[in-house]
Amino acid sequence: MRLPDSRACGQCKHFQNEPLEVEAALPGLSSLSSAYAAVRCSDGICAVHERYVAASSICSAFDEGYAFA
Amino acid sequence: MAEIAQTAPGRVLVRRSPWGELFRKEDWWAIWIGLGLIAVAVALFAGGSSIKWIAVAPQKWSRLADVAQQLQVHGVQYAALFVLWAVAFGIGAAALGIKISRFLPAFLLVYLAAGALYFLGQWDQAAHYNLEPPLVALGLGLLVSNTVGVPRWLEPGMRVEFYIKTGIVLLGAGLPLTLIAWAGPVAIVQAAIVSLATFGVIYAAAVGLGLDRRLAATLGTGGAVCGVSGAIAVGGAVGAKKEEVSVAISLVVVWAIVMIFVLPLVSRALGLSTGVAGAWIGTSEFADAAGLAAAQTYGGYAGSVPGIEGSPDAAVSAFTLMKVIGRDVWIGVWAFVLSLIATTRWERTGVQNKSSAAEIWNRFPKFVLGFLVASAVLTLVTRGFDYAAYKKEVVPALVAPLQAFRTWAFTFAFLSIGLTTRLREFASIGARPFYAFTIGVVVNVILGFVLSTQVFAAFWNRLGQ
Repeated sequence: MRLPDSRACGQCKHFQNEPLEVEAALPGLSSLSSAYAAVRCSDGICAVHERYVAASSICSAFDEGYAFA
Repeated sequence: MAEIAQTAPGRVLVRRSPWGELFRKEDWWAIWIGLGLIAVAVALFAGGSSIKWIAVAPQKWSRLADVAQQLQVHGVQYAALFVLWAVAFGIGAAALGIKISRFLPAFLLVYLAAGALYFLGQWDQAAHYNLEPPLVALGLGLLVSNTVGVPRWLEPGMRVEFYIKTGIVLLGAGLPLTLIAWAGPVAIVQAAIVSLATFGVIYAAAVGLGLDRRLAATLGTGGAVCGVSGAIAVGGAVGAKKEEVSVAISLVVVWAIVMIFVLPLVSRALGLSTGVAGAWIGTSEFADAAGLAAAQTYGGYAGSVPGIEGSPDAAVSAFTLMKVIGRDVWIGVWAFVLSLIATTRWERTGVQNKSSAAEIWNRFPKFVLGFLVASAVLTLVTRGFDYAAYKKEVVPALVAPLQAFRTWAFTFAFLSIGLTTRLREFASIGARPFYAFTIGVVVNVILGFVLSTQVFAAFWNRLGQ
């Protein structure tokens, strides 16, 4: 098994993908779907770019310090 | 399940086993709960017994005294059923990271309210007063959440998707695998036509109105494939802005709730059969939970509203074939294709997505596997029975109890939809996204109607007989 990319968003402290946090940030998500759904994978919110991105994405603002939720 | 890999002093990476996914996503917990109940039911049936004692459900009544009598006679069973659901969903919720001490009190209230709605649906005047349980649950929930508000402590118990997915797995037990094989290809063809057309219209309209392509794609998938789930899957795959995902979610939820009321109402006015109406709802509703609320409502009209033909279950069956088999299962493909296009063709955003074919499986709605396994198990178990024996032995001891479990799970979900929908919290949508999405809704509804009631009408009518 491969380690997740050490500089991917999933390892960045600006990235939030804890399900309840994601649901709080996206009102209506839990009404007809869920942050615990398989379709969401490990996507989360990037606080730097204000984007909803895949955990495997990368960018130049990477700042390690937070692990996968 | 998780391993810690030291990479540099003071820096840690968490490496999770892929098997951990089996306990971290509600899709898998819906499978474990649904198939677990089916396994116990089948084992008891094979041993000459039945799970029906605990699968208690309200019976038809005409006076309140009848309700009191039912509760008096079956009170212990209702209590036992609560314990069963609380343990099953409680373990699942705890594994997902929801504190069980917060989940259980909230779920108790959900269970009691769902029980009241289930009883209401069994009133012999319910259809006369348009008191179909899904619509009442939704209307009541919306009223409460948007007026007095829902207390915070109730929120952990309102897991719409967890309940609806469990119900869909249980629904598989009521659909023979042969029926899925027979109807599946038609559902896929019809759904593909509508999905491609709807996505194309929304995407083109959004881009034409000057919206960002990532928002256009997120809106398009939300309208064409699987509603809010489609919007978040593609929003993440293409790296849409957070507020763009919020806008897409808001639009999908608002239109999905409108359609819960409109589609059954129009179908009823036109006297569509349950199979045809279910297919139309499956083509033109945006989310599973919303569509099942509409389809179950319409199924309830069969036998109680003059002129509506077909079996009550046909609406839900046709809906599920169309929505789950025809649309939901393709979300991974949509996400992969759109992420590939976003990575290679669209303007860069500062965040670089990694497009991979693994996306197709990673985003696959796994609960569909449980639905198919449930169907296969029941098909195998019942294959030795002729029709008369099936009706006399299998239905009361095995099929009906599983159907009761399913109705409970769906009722929990319908109630939770309204209670979790707080319209004032929705993102400010803006005129252009609204127009783009609404054009798609119009095309979707008309095309879905024509295909369900004209092109494939004979097929869907046959499903209902």
